[in-house]
Amino acid sequence: MTNEELYLAVRPAVAEALGLDEDEVTPDATLLDELGAESIDLLDILFRLERSTGVKIQAADLSEHVQGGIPDEEFGDEEKDVITPVGMAQLKKVMPQIAGMGLDGKLQPENVMSYFTVQNLTDLVAARAAAVSA
Amino acid sequence: MPRRSPPEAAVEAAPFRVRVGVDIVDVARLERLLDDNPSAAGELFTAAEWAYCGGKRRRGEHLAARFAAKEAVLKAFGTGLSGRMRWTDVEIVNTPLGRPVVRLDGAVAARARDRGVRDVDVSLTHTAGMALAHAVVVSRIETGSTERRDSGCASI
Repeated sequence: MTNEELYLAVRPAVAEALGLDEDEVTPDATLLDELGAESIDLLDILFRLERSTGVKIQAADLSEHVQGGIPDEEFGDEEKDVITPVGMAQLKKVMPQIAGMGLDGKLQPENVMSYFTVQNLTDLVAARAAAVSA
Repeated sequence: MPRRSPPEAAVEAAPFRVRVGVDIVDVARLERLLDDNPSAAGELFTAAEWAYCGGKRRRGEHLAARFAAKEAVLKAFGTGLSGRMRWTDVEIVNTPLGRPVVRLDGAVAARARDRGVRDVDVSLTHTAGMALAHAVVVSRIETGSTERRDSGCASI
């Protein structure tokens, strides 16, 4: 499936799980803050995507994808309670839209997923689909 | 130097750390998740949990309370669901008198061993609309260790 085809699968999955109109689900919309998803909604979205695309993504895969396998102590600065430069570099790979937001040295770990968008989810599904077919 | 009461002194000296987690689940939301996604039943709940809840008239409330408990336990661990952890790694079973007991398995049990977890307890409550769980995790503090807060974890 192309990225565009995957987006066409992601959009209804998000809309149905959250009880929204598909028009409200745009690529730039953040799942948690703007679309109002809770953790149980994210689970619902992943189950729906599995059915429609055949791509299995576990709930734990979301944070793994975002953190990129970087150990907690390297990803976040415990004393300052912010994401480290190493962590920010990883986040800019999987959530490139944050690059121009001036979050370096300011982003707290608990707020990371607030920036996760519908497009970021589509990219994750695409990456998993490619990994499965490789 | 001010005198301290015995309980205060005892707490300070105890080589244990207590962490808590709490979660609340909308019963109808969980029921919709299960109705719409047939594979969710086996991924979220163990056979023992289904055996306990399946025959109850208010099945949805009992399942929602158990899902809240899984979230609460993982919050108390400070990790959320991460790595190879699965929802079924945290199982809520009941004693003959009905008291909920937490059983850990798989990656969650491994994490618990790494953290020196000695005890995990949970309390559940539910009404027609909402289910709530409160978890308490007691860990042994190794001599010379420092507090680890999982500040880097991007869990949801």
